[in-house]
Amino acid sequence: MRRRALLAAAAGGLVALIGAGAGVWSQVPVIPARPEPDAETALSWIAHREGRYTLTLPRAEMGQNIATALKQIACAELGAAWEVVDVVLHATDMPRVKATVGSESVMLFAEPLAQACAALRDALAAGQVAGQVSVTPRPVADLRSLRTGGLIGASPEITQGREIVTGAPLYAADVHLPGMQYGRVLRAPVSVEVESRPVRWNIEAARAVPGFVAVVEDCGPPIGKAQGLGIVATRPGALVAIAEAMDVAWSMATPHARSDIARAVDVDVRLSQGALPHEVLDGAPEDGAWDVDLRIDVPLAAHGPIEPRAAVAAWQDGALRVWAGTQDAFYIRDFLADAFALPAMAVTVQSCRIGGAFGGKTICTVEAEAAALTLATGNPVKVQWTRAQEYALGFHRPPSSHRIKARVAQGRVTDWDHAQMSSHIMFTAAVVPPWMQRGTDLFAGDGGVARGMAAPYVLGRARAAYDMVRLPVHTGPWRGLGAGPNALAVEIAMDEAALVAGVDPLAFRLAHSADPLLAAVLARVGEIAGWGRAPAPVGGLRAGRGIACGTYKDTSHAAAVADVAVDAKGRVRVTRLWCVHDCGLVINPDQVRAQCEGNLVWSLGMVLTDDLPTDAGHVTAQTFADAPIPHMTDVPPITVDLIQSDRPPQGAGETAMVAGPGAIANAIRAATGQRPTRFPVRSEDLGA
Amino acid sequence: MSFILNGQSHDIPPDWADEPLLFLLRENFGLMGAKFGCGVGICGACTIIIDGVATRACTTRAGDVDGLSVRTIEGLAEGDSLHPVQQAWLDHGVPQCGYCQAGQIMAAVALLDEVSDPSAEDIDAAMDANLCRCGTYLRIKAAILSAAEQV
Ligand code: FES
Ligand code: FES
Repeated sequence: MRRRALLAAAAGGLVALIGAGAGVWSQVPVIPARPEPDAETALSWIAHREGRYTLTLPRAEMGQNIATALKQIACAELGAAWEVVDVVLHATDMPRVKATVGSESVMLFAEPLAQACAALRDALAAGQVAGQVSVTPRPVADLRSLRTGGLIGASPEITQGREIVTGAPLYAADVHLPGMQYGRVLRAPVSVEVESRPVRWNIEAARAVPGFVAVVEDCGPPIGKAQGLGIVATRPGALVAIAEAMDVAWSMATPHARSDIARAVDVDVRLSQGALPHEVLDGAPEDGAWDVDLRIDVPLAAHGPIEPRAAVAAWQDGALRVWAGTQDAFYIRDFLADAFALPAMAVTVQSCRIGGAFGGKTICTVEAEAAALTLATGNPVKVQWTRAQEYALGFHRPPSSHRIKARVAQGRVTDWDHAQMSSHIMFTAAVVPPWMQRGTDLFAGDGGVARGMAAPYVLGRARAAYDMVRLPVHTGPWRGLGAGPNALAVEIAMDEAALVAGVDPLAFRLAHSADPLLAAVLARVGEIAGWGRAPAPVGGLRAGRGIACGTYKDTSHAAAVADVAVDAKGRVRVTRLWCVHDCGLVINPDQVRAQCEGNLVWSLGMVLTDDLPTDAGHVTAQTFADAPIPHMTDVPPITVDLIQSDRPPQGAGETAMVAGPGAIANAIRAATGQRPTRFPVRSEDLGA
Repeated sequence: MSFILNGQSHDIPPDWADEPLLFLLRENFGLMGAKFGCGVGICGACTIIIDGVATRACTTRAGDVDGLSVRTIEGLAEGDSLHPVQQAWLDHGVPQCGYCQAGQIMAAVALLDEVSDPSAEDIDAAMDANLCRCGTYLRIKAAILSAAEQV
């Protein structure tokens, strides 16, 4: 048996239990199952007892304040007062719900929840007080909660808001269990896609550190190809001293073949080797000279949530119980059951409020570390990643490189060609093992990389195609997936095309818009921003105004205008932002606005700061100083205008990412005459 | 070693003296409001108030608060009645994920205790080093201004 736990204190009887199946981690990945929600399943989300209701939130709560919006739906449909509905976050002991991704929480869950609540309301009215309710979906027009009025379109105090402002425990790291200890899994300072494992460490020095409990060799599956070494202590701060005292020597394979990440995703190098295999638009642009021919580069970027991921694991009553801040508790449950050879019934994962996820908390990492350490020591264990672990071991927005060309005649784009080289978002190495990557790489595209490549315009003979390459860093979903970088490239190229055509950029976009709803947000943002007026001058600085727009996942639309001021050294300040947003019926306008504001701050970060430094394929960032995010003083006044709509509700969590970055980049062009094409923008490219 | 924690005297257990104050508060005293965000004083998620000064609990040694008075977010409300800053945070719908907000609120309380009528520049200076990835900054500013009218 290879698994060993070196314990300073006597361990519980559970060490034997994890010996079974010893150390060969499953090579067949656990693939997230993502059932679409329906009214039948929704019955398990709402319950009534003695005049009170419990809404078990079928989504992860990570800042979109979906607990508030779905409670509004439930109250409106039930005809129940706000105070009599309690909201609890789900655990995996309810029927499976799909991962909280893709801005789907209102779009896909509002109607099933409304149907279930309507059925419950009718059953109560008919005198039923106990037992199961059955649901026969009724026409949407008969639901009370999917139209404006009362709580729908209102903005009540946010659910869990009181707990947040009073510091009550809500997050995974806030869980505190009797006898709990603190764990960390150390991994080699090398790319996660290079084989590495611990070979030697100073156990005596570790034992001498006050608070030392154990070194655990079998500390869960590798992350990528990085095998870890677990440590456990009675106090979290002791982990730092123990890690230092251990002075672990690592075996590390030779550097990754594509350690030069920028070169690996260089679209021009790739295009010189032949056509790109995955087509998004299949038009055939004519040969000849181009009026617009831009190369746009967007780098690797971290999600940067303020909460480093955390989990608490405990063995209770013959079962593994895990508290996690995850976007997919059911996937975590399945992954843990597989990794530790437990029946799914013997693993329960409780969702906790997440301190920011943005797509980055969808896979199982820290949860498996906590589980392995609790199984090894017999005690409950809390693990929270350090900031440096977040960067080194998490997955990130893939870098992307774009070659985008347009030909213009009589004020219209006649030909369009967008080529993109990037790395994987859906079939990421963070989830898919190497043998399976070989299969997917041969045949499959990646909807995440493709997202937003189909420009929302009528562009004549338009082609868009992409390819991907495996990198030494893990990449995956990041707010908006490919839509942010693709829309940035598209909107910069449209701006340049308008310039070549000699047409106002707003009028140019309106003339090409393929969707009247998109045209409407564009026209509206022009009105509220006073498009056509010069931006307010900022003492001696070069000022400029830009516009951009886009459609997210075919159903929600945003347009933005940005003002910037650039100093003689090329330093950029965004001085004003406007955004018009159409996501169909709005359940909670204040929280939709909050999502727009957040997306605009992210847009600012995308243009001005987001970049995750690497060296030889290894992420070198340790702190926020190495991978900065926007500060308060970076954010200008923002005006958000929501389109009143009775379309079914759509997503709002990522939509403005398709408009904000382009507006800011185009404002920089207007201010400086320099077209920013390398992101984040560098002051040396923009000097006076 | 002892200190005043939200108005009450507590011993600092000797084996916790070398821990960051943040972990003493969270893991020994069970006060989970202050958060671990970076551990090196950059993000402000762990902000608490020591003798009136907004301070990073992650880079303060627990033993170093011997004899001092520490105020955490758990000590702001009096029973069910929220501190004006807490109430302003709810009125303005400030929190998105909420993880940074205990630190933001404590930084704001320290500011208002010192300057009851802060200018926009005062707010920027006091708050700029408290990071919020969700991007709630404009609401934080607005909430501080309206709390200032209440305190
Ligand atoms: S955790 Fe203390 S400043 Fe970030
Ligand atoms: S509210 Fe999420 S980090 Fe500030």
